[in-house]
Amino acid sequence: MKYLQLIGLSIFALALSPGARAEPLTDAKEIVARANLASYYNGDDGRSEARMAIEDAQGRRQLRQFTILRRDHADGGDQDFMVFFSRPSDVRGTVFLVAKHVDRDDDRWLYLPGLDLVRRISAGDKRTSFVGSNFFYEDVSGRHPEADEHTLVETTAEHYVLESRPKDPGAVEFDRYVTRIDRNTFLPMRTEYYDDRDRVYRLMEVLAVEEIGGYPTVTRSRMSAPLDGGNTLMEFRYIEYDVGLPADIFSERYLRSPPVDWLRRSGE
Amino acid sequence: MKQALLEFALQRPRTVYLVTLLLALVLGLQIPRIQVDTDPENMLPETQADRVFHNEVKEEMALHDAIVVGLVATDHADGIYNPASLGALHRATEEIIELEGVVARDLMALPVADNIDQAGPGTVRFEWLMPEPPASREEALAIREAVERLPLLKDTLASGDGKAAAIYVPIRDKDESHRLAREIAAITAAASAEYGAPGEWHVTGLPVAEDTFGYEMFVQMGISAPLAGLAIFLLLWFFFRSIPLIVAPMIVAMVTVIATMGLLIGMGFTVHIMSSMIPIFLMPIAVVDSVHIMSEFADRYRPGRDRNETIREVVGHLFRPMLFTSVTSSVGFASLALTPIPPVQVFGAYVAFGIMLAFLLTIVFIPAWISRMKPEKLARMQAAIHSGEGDSLLARLLRSTGRGALRHGKLVLLGFAVVFALSVAGITQIQINDNPTRWFKSDHRIRVADEVLNRHFAGTYDAWIVLDHVDRPDGALLAERVQPALAAAPAGVREFWGELAPATDETLGGERLTGLISALEDRLFDADGAAAEALEALLRAVESVASEAKYFQQPEVLRWIAALQADLEASGLAGKSNGLPDLVKTVNRELRSGAPEDYRIPERSAGVAQALLQFQSSHRPQDLWHMVTPDFSRAVVWLQLPSGDNQDMTAVIEHVDAYLEQHPLPAGMDLQWAGKTYLNVVWQEAMVKGMVGSLASAFLAVLIMMTILFRSFGYGLLAMLPLTITITFIYGLIGWIGKDYDMPIAVLSALTLGLSIDFAIHFIERSREALAELGDFRAAMAAVFEEPARAISRNAIVIAVGFTPLLLAPLVPYITVGVFLASIMAVSALVTLVLLPAAMQPFLADRKRAA
Repeated sequence: MKYLQLIGLSIFALALSPGARAEPLTDAKEIVARANLASYYNGDDGRSEARMAIEDAQGRRQLRQFTILRRDHADGGDQDFMVFFSRPSDVRGTVFLVAKHVDRDDDRWLYLPGLDLVRRISAGDKRTSFVGSNFFYEDVSGRHPEADEHTLVETTAEHYVLESRPKDPGAVEFDRYVTRIDRNTFLPMRTEYYDDRDRVYRLMEVLAVEEIGGYPTVTRSRMSAPLDGGNTLMEFRYIEYDVGLPADIFSERYLRSPPVDWLRRSGE
Repeated sequence: MKQALLEFALQRPRTVYLVTLLLALVLGLQIPRIQVDTDPENMLPETQADRVFHNEVKEEMALHDAIVVGLVATDHADGIYNPASLGALHRATEEIIELEGVVARDLMALPVADNIDQAGPGTVRFEWLMPEPPASREEALAIREAVERLPLLKDTLASGDGKAAAIYVPIRDKDESHRLAREIAAITAAASAEYGAPGEWHVTGLPVAEDTFGYEMFVQMGISAPLAGLAIFLLLWFFFRSIPLIVAPMIVAMVTVIATMGLLIGMGFTVHIMSSMIPIFLMPIAVVDSVHIMSEFADRYRPGRDRNETIREVVGHLFRPMLFTSVTSSVGFASLALTPIPPVQVFGAYVAFGIMLAFLLTIVFIPAWISRMKPEKLARMQAAIHSGEGDSLLARLLRSTGRGALRHGKLVLLGFAVVFALSVAGITQIQINDNPTRWFKSDHRIRVADEVLNRHFAGTYDAWIVLDHVDRPDGALLAERVQPALAAAPAGVREFWGELAPATDETLGGERLTGLISALEDRLFDADGAAAEALEALLRAVESVASEAKYFQQPEVLRWIAALQADLEASGLAGKSNGLPDLVKTVNRELRSGAPEDYRIPERSAGVAQALLQFQSSHRPQDLWHMVTPDFSRAVVWLQLPSGDNQDMTAVIEHVDAYLEQHPLPAGMDLQWAGKTYLNVVWQEAMVKGMVGSLASAFLAVLIMMTILFRSFGYGLLAMLPLTITITFIYGLIGWIGKDYDMPIAVLSALTLGLSIDFAIHFIERSREALAELGDFRAAMAAVFEEPARAISRNAIVIAVGFTPLLLAPLVPYITVGVFLASIMAVSALVTLVLLPAAMQPFLADRKRAA
């Protein structure tokens, strides 16, 4: 589940019109499933441009800018991602290709133009930094809802508050995390990760949500490290859903020659 | 003033007691506020340039003080790479990382290290090196194989011989290292027990050494100082056989020590290794003047005689020499204030103060005390001292010494000339060297850990080569670059840029340029048509400057650094160096093929940037910023040195200097040193230079005072003779026996001067008196070699013995000071008694005829 709704997603056919706040849900699994859809599966596909401002504990900043193309195989199911880096200029042209699978390890490829290399990356651990930011790879691609045990601890006027504990504690660095999910949009608005001394050491906050193509979409969010200091601000722009991305561009072939037509913003 | 003080003491002894008591109480109450400072860094003033730079680099690169924990398994066939030892290492790491005060994210150990390797042809893999303890021998050996491939880990986190593994525990506050070291010891012991792991744990690192030093310093102060007091007390009893009488000098010594330390602490100074020696310096010195008064008093007092009258006579007689000896000793110590080392300055200033206080107390308190002693006790003392005093071994020895010195005067002078020449030759052999870890005895657990870990690893001592890009782009360069784009841009864009553009003289860091790029980007968001095109063109121009500003991302720059590292490695002076080139090469190799031929710097800057982007996708992206700043304008090469000796550090610096002669720094690059091992060299050099100045000025000051005291330049020079010989001899000896010239040895020079002049003052003063009285040089000398020579010898023995408890100290600098001060006292008393008569003889022997 969770934040980082990189891309919009599918039409999970829930009525999200204002005022449609029905009886609150009580099943944590269902809430998590909907949050997963709201965060990662808007539309059948999508494109957006992301800008990350990484700020370390000393206040030093780095910039990362990339375009993301996404295509879903099925809502809540497998997805293909392509991430094209444009800034800083010395990493321009770097591409990540990810075939996300819900039932097995993802397939990942990498193109590094500066080294003239296409490499497959062994999936391994998803809880590594995403290009030096405070976000993890898994924050960007979505953590599998089945990976954790979820409990609904509170339902407020605005939010469902869920507590999640990992089924395999050895595979993750957190002890548990607590997510506040918007009852209307099902977008996780704030997630606190606790270490085994019960301190919040990672914190995700959504700072802005916009409705795009009918989908409430997170356009600004921040991941911070309250104990060590430092944070990453991620902003999305030029978001589009259901652009009709062809399946074949999500292949190794397109790493070296990016599908420029699909990367271009609409109207250009 | 002398009279007024004396009369006050004699008339109002109770007031004297009260004032003394108050002095001890008021200042003594400050002592509990003591703050111990064992940080060798404080040998430099806080504003000293190298120290400021060191701390700036430390802060910027997040390089913390670290406790080094090592597990050494020499007995196991697979060394450290067996499941049990790695299990214990894993468990210990897991628990140490949780300790309060540990900087968890920067802790380095195999269980929290990232591995990058090949998961099959064309597939690169990033994963934890050892997320779980290995379950089998094969798994354990696979970890060894992985470590051998990672140059940044090998010889740092695991030893090249496979026998040892290390945990670098970065800590927030070094004052916590004693507690942390204790907790770590408990954790490691339990971890080894849990896994039945072979091997021994060792804990070292400068913070632990410093904290432990602080603890042992207290032990030293608690044991050596009282022992010195006891030794002096016993000696005084042996000399004067009267407990009531010798209680007085002991009180003077105690009050002097308490008041001086109280004042030092009360004034807010921390107690450093030097100032912790103040009590043991002051105690014997404070007693010396009392010994003179009491010796004289015992000599002149006869039962039935008015004792106040005797005291007046004695004090009147001794006031000048006592004042001068005190002032000269003070000057000797005060000259230490000329060194640029704050702890040495504080030490010198406060001992100087203590000596003057002791003088004041002596001439007030001792007379007051004697004036209140019971007549029968005085009589008993009198009898005890005079019975057979003239026949004592000391007395006989002194008499024959005096006769011998005169009889063989020429031979004595020749002998001393030879000794002097040999000593000067010895001084040229002196090895200037220090190493705070060596302040512990060789069997101390910290020394043992230091020795063991440095045998297995590349080194636990840090020095950093800090490389800076100094030729940064500025606003003028940027203006030049954007000019073509701007010329073609619509007015709106030109106006926008006009507001945005930095001043031509502004230096542009990576961050400033990133800010400009973001601003242009934001503007582009709402732009279209010609404006959008112009903004794109501007963006490209700014980006080209930003890209060039990333200096330490440029392949040729990295290759230059790699060459320097390779040269250092080849020199054998540095155990290992870790820098950005190593990281870039490793990532490049694994991205390409994993084969050794791909262990190289990519051809293009973009290649470097992309390799680093991959590194940043690991578990520990922050590790990159220990080696380079995020704007790539500063890089640090971390040298691991197997020795903390200043000489070894100096050799590394000289080697790099020589290398730079052959391979000049690329234009725009600057090289500086930082790191604790380097700082030690800085303060040592400052101290050696400072000591020469302080010694020279003390010598001059004392010579002037001697000339004034004796109203004769000749006598002034004569008085300087014994201490000149003594100092030269002691330092010549240090040179010949190969003892390193370190901090305690350096400090000794100036204070030797202050202490050993005393003997010459008393000897010459008494000789002149005797000469004036008897008119015959030989007769005068015979008289001097009675009571005066005995007093001089007694004082030499008191001071020498007073310092001997330092020999029992657990820390080497104290032992050094003890040994050398005792020898200095012995040598300078001997030189005074043997050389001075021989030296005076040629000038004064004819006085016989004149008489």
